Amino acid sequence: MRRGLVLVAAILAFAMPSAQAQGPRVEPPPGAVPAPTIGGPAGSGVPPSVPPSIPGVPATPDLVVDLSQARVSITSAFQGENILLFGMFDPPGEVVVVVQGPAARDTVLRKERFLGLWLNTGRQAFDDVPAYYAIAASQPLQRMLARGTGGEILSLEDRMASVRSVGSRDHDDLIRFRLGLVEVKRREGLYPAAIGQVTVQAGRLFRVDLPFPSRLPEGVYEVRAYLLRDGKIVAAVSRPLPVGKVGFSAQLAGWASHEGELYGLAAILMAVLVGWFGGAVMRRI
Amino acid sequence: MEIYLPIAEQSMNIFVLLALGGAAGLLAGMFGVGGGFLATPLLIFVGIPPAVAVASQANQVVANSISSLQVQWRRGNVDLRMGLVLLLGGMIGSSGGVWLFTYLKRIGQIDFVIAVTYVVMLSTIGLLMLYESLSTYLRRRRNPEAPRGKLHTHYLVHRLPLKLRFYKSKLYISALLPVGLGFVIGILSAILGVGGGFVLVPAMIYVLGMPTTVVIGTSNFQILFVAANVTFLQAATNGTVDVVLALLLILGGVVGAPIGARLAAKLPGVVLRGLMAVLVLAVATELLFELLRTPSSVYSLGSREVLP
Repeated sequence: MRRGLVLVAAILAFAMPSAQAQGPRVEPPPGAVPAPTIGGPAGSGVPPSVPPSIPGVPATPDLVVDLSQARVSITSAFQGENILLFGMFDPPGEVVVVVQGPAARDTVLRKERFLGLWLNTGRQAFDDVPAYYAIAASQPLQRMLARGTGGEILSLEDRMASVRSVGSRDHDDLIRFRLGLVEVKRREGLYPAAIGQVTVQAGRLFRVDLPFPSRLPEGVYEVRAYLLRDGKIVAAVSRPLPVGKVGFSAQLAGWASHEGELYGLAAILMAVLVGWFGGAVMRRI
Repeated sequence: MEIYLPIAEQSMNIFVLLALGGAAGLLAGMFGVGGGFLATPLLIFVGIPPAVAVASQANQVVANSISSLQVQWRRGNVDLRMGLVLLLGGMIGSSGGVWLFTYLKRIGQIDFVIAVTYVVMLSTIGLLMLYESLSTYLRRRRNPEAPRGKLHTHYLVHRLPLKLRFYKSKLYISALLPVGLGFVIGILSAILGVGGGFVLVPAMIYVLGMPTTVVIGTSNFQILFVAANVTFLQAATNGTVDVVLALLLILGGVVGAPIGARLAAKLPGVVLRGLMAVLVLAVATELLFELLRTPSSVYSLGSREVLP
């Protein structure tokens, strides 16, 4: 059902090139290479992002993408979510999709056995660690990347090799910490382990499912799609994907972080009221 | 049915949380202690970050203690003077405890300290209770007519300065002792997210020598305010109180407590204390096992800082 809708949407986008013209176009910064067109059906409600500045990418409307949802909304019922990225490209070529969460400093803790007990003895901070990193391709990625994409498309391993360690530590140990970081993130579903499959239909329509776990850091994620021909990027499209709490969850979390004192008092009041009346009611029964 | 906990930042089954609160309430009703000592480790077992588990559990303790204080107060079982003296120590201890908690969290040792403190506390209390209930049981079986042992002994309590008269407790003891006791309970409360009743109640009986009738009410009085202080400070300094989580635990507890009270009325006190001892020891053993077992992964994530 969903798949059908997506196909219809993609075909509509394909059949009506004028739809793209209706959306506002982002002017490239002066001197920059003309940016690829931002795709997606008009009226999806998402303003197109500033396109990535990728040297050597010609301005071609060869690649059009959209997401099944404009944002990841963390509501009270949120349990993680799969978002569908779909689009269309001008064959021939292969499609690679990279999704990246906002970068921040992450600290990895390592346990060691001490007097028979396991406790955290080592810690290492890394800068520029993406909150989330997923990559998907329409054919085995290694083969495509081996032909060289100018370092623009990074596999998870390559991306993680570029995170900067804070402070000094011996090389081998640093590598172990870095692997530990990837391991933890994988366990939490933030670095989906396998390289996702971009499914191509009718030679020009493509789709890929992006999994997001329930424990998802907030921020503006970036979804990038690339069209490759003979190992060269010929088109690239970038879409922002805001991830954030909405509604009740957002209100509570915002309140907790900005007005901790008031939040604390309200929490106490809630407990007193529920404890008082709940206790009184239950004793009657 | 899953619900997203906005501060713990993960989704969790509603019924698991209600059941957890219910179990804590059941214990509260049965044994007259908060049940937090069981609920907090269980929350951590199901995957709630320890910092959030402890802070939210403190919020739950507020509801739990006001619920039983309501009854105790009406029956006149609260020694207000003793409660206030305990509270003086409790406020200082819990404020220091939250500070200590924040520090330990920053250096990445909070999980370890929580676990070790639980193991030490619970195994000591559990063994003492088990010994007490077993020896009482055996003594009564051998000689059912034997008089009960002395309720309290007089030594340290009577030598310290700053003596105060506690009319309701029929005590004339140094105020330093209840202040010190309140202080220790306050620290425990802040770090473990418990009311501390499982330590406070025996200490009030055996160390201070208070009559058992006023012990539960007075401890509830002190616990209510200390837990409120911990909730407030945790919310203000760490932002780790999850009210959605706390509300579910409270609702479970509200239902569980009267059931526990009815069960307790049907069982003799010595059996009840023996059961509680076994339960306390089981939790301690499980926590110790967690500390000794080779973890599935030695790596974990500390704090995540978004740099400007």
